[in-house]
Amino acid sequence: MNRKNFLSSLLTIGAAGPVLAASTPPAPACVPAKTTTATPLIIPPYLRPGDTIGITCPAGNITAKEIIPATQQIESWGFKIKTGDTIGMKDSIFGGTDAQRAADLQQMIGDPDIKAILCARGGYGAVHIVDRLDFSPLTKYPKWIIGFSDITVLLCHLHSNGNWASIHSKMCNSFPDDWSKAEPVQVDSILSIRRALSGEKMQYKTPPNTFNRHGRAEAPLIGGNLKTIETLAGTRSDIDTAGKLLFVEDTGEYLYSIDRMFWHLQRTGKLQQLAGLVVGGFKIKPDDPGEEFGRTLYDIVTERVAPYNYPVCFGFPVGHQKDNFALKYGVPHLLDVQEMEVNLTDVSVPAANTPAE
Amino acid sequence: MNTPNIIIPPYLRPGDTIGITCPAGYLPLEKARTCIDTLPAWGYRVRIGQTLGSASDNYFSGTDDQRLAELQQMLDDPGINAILCGRGGYGLSRIIDRIDFTRFRQSPKWIIGFSDITVIQTHILTRYNIATLHAPMAGAFNDGGATGPGVESLRKALTGEPLAYQVPTHPFNRSGTATAPLIGGNLALLAHLTGSPSEPDTRGCILFLEDVGEYLYNIDRMLRQLKRSGKLDHLAGLLIGGFTELKDTIRPFGATVEEIIRDIIGDLTCPVAFGFPVSHGNDNVALKIGVNSRLRVGPEGTTIGEIY
Repeated sequence: MNRKNFLSSLLTIGAAGPVLAASTPPAPACVPAKTTTATPLIIPPYLRPGDTIGITCPAGNITAKEIIPATQQIESWGFKIKTGDTIGMKDSIFGGTDAQRAADLQQMIGDPDIKAILCARGGYGAVHIVDRLDFSPLTKYPKWIIGFSDITVLLCHLHSNGNWASIHSKMCNSFPDDWSKAEPVQVDSILSIRRALSGEKMQYKTPPNTFNRHGRAEAPLIGGNLKTIETLAGTRSDIDTAGKLLFVEDTGEYLYSIDRMFWHLQRTGKLQQLAGLVVGGFKIKPDDPGEEFGRTLYDIVTERVAPYNYPVCFGFPVGHQKDNFALKYGVPHLLDVQEMEVNLTDVSVPAANTPAE
Repeated sequence: MNTPNIIIPPYLRPGDTIGITCPAGYLPLEKARTCIDTLPAWGYRVRIGQTLGSASDNYFSGTDDQRLAELQQMLDDPGINAILCGRGGYGLSRIIDRIDFTRFRQSPKWIIGFSDITVIQTHILTRYNIATLHAPMAGAFNDGGATGPGVESLRKALTGEPLAYQVPTHPFNRSGTATAPLIGGNLALLAHLTGSPSEPDTRGCILFLEDVGEYLYNIDRMLRQLKRSGKLDHLAGLLIGGFTELKDTIRPFGATVEEIIRDIIGDLTCPVAFGFPVSHGNDNVALKIGVNSRLRVGPEGTTIGEIY
């Protein structure tokens, strides 16, 4: 991000008139951030064939049978699987009690043989255990934490408390029962987990969109489920988005609620100093009759980012959908939004590691 | 912590004027008719804003500019002695940072409402230490509500008659007494305001909570946000209102809202009372946000009354 341009644009806005000036809210009351700009990014070692991936349920429950498509596929990639105790456990909607889920994840965090931890599914529940977890063994046994949706809690927490890179991707419950019948984009999304874990240079193309705002920015990529990000505000897992590329997605929310969440981002200081904004998939809950919101997702986002000048892209393949590609969370990426094409490129890995396709 | 010298707007006298505006969602004029007819019977004049029953064809009662302009005008107008919000819905977050409170701070008046109105009420308490009135809005006067206990408590509150309530005991209550200012409102909005310039400072306060139409898991998540952001750490007391029209996921959450709250407040040592009549349902009595109140939770029930 060109900070000079950013600052001068703010000054311009301030001079433009009372309405625009007032649309930039005052500084938020508190933005806790354990990770400072001085905290170096820690990228765990990429996996090699023979390495072990642990599967656990920090949030919603899953049966042993339901993870079989995932374990078979991951084993076919040459990785070993360690299945956590919480697989098959159930305590109401959770994969075991809070104590059981925390213990299972804690055990995997400290297990020197486990090189990555794949969360079996999202749902709800990571926030119940995040404050019970001791992540310090990661220093000795660094490893990738993998998941999305409710797992956004863990990804944000790791970013804000130690600047740990992680992987935002599909989980066990998204692996198709019959691989041969899966749609190509679903297969590609799942194979992208393997590519990210193996240290490939990740590159994503998104179709052009007339609502995009053009520009280029290189910065760490963070974000996740928008509602989850909102409910982390004010807590020690909250994210500091300044100078970063923020991606957001959500499912099952009303347009008014999405609007309120984007206002929340702005009013908590999370939009002002972004390097770029990546809008993923939003499965929108239809308005109730007589409560038509009258604005689209494009309107909502465009209104909120109007005072700033960083690149914005819509329709990025991340979210509760078939095209949900693995993203290296916390890792520097180049976002290049042009009229004819949009590219997001992992810049942490040299170009030589680009797969021959 | 809120300073004890909370600024209490002047109570109303016969002949005073109440302005009705819709700073958030749309409300048809006919839904406010009973309210508009009742307020003069209480001795007040009514000024109806254009946002009530406006020509808006969408969710909001008007554009941001229209809603803001009307609210601003009513805040600044010395001829308006209190502002009754027609309804909540959603919309104050969109205009709160554009409201100029300069004149309001010089001549405070009661801001009346709940639900989305939690945004401006929390903002005013946190930033300006001025009391507001968490109370039924225009729609609550309908269907016999005008003579019900909720609207009756609003009438009393406006005259300056001290508010006091008695509530039956609840198995999850925690006994104790506290004298502290009230703070609170809609849980979703208190969570939404966390981290923003309108963030509630609950330290040393009696916190009251209510919500409507939320999934159980989301109630759990928002309460955990309050807890993790320190908002339950230094409470003087906690009043749990009604959580109405709750939804559940296909896989049932497996706990009632009262059980969820009991589990989350865990080791809280302050008095806690469940079943307080503040909600989106019929039970919704007026509470003065920011005003010092005495809470007693005991085996015989709960009492709360303002200190005056």
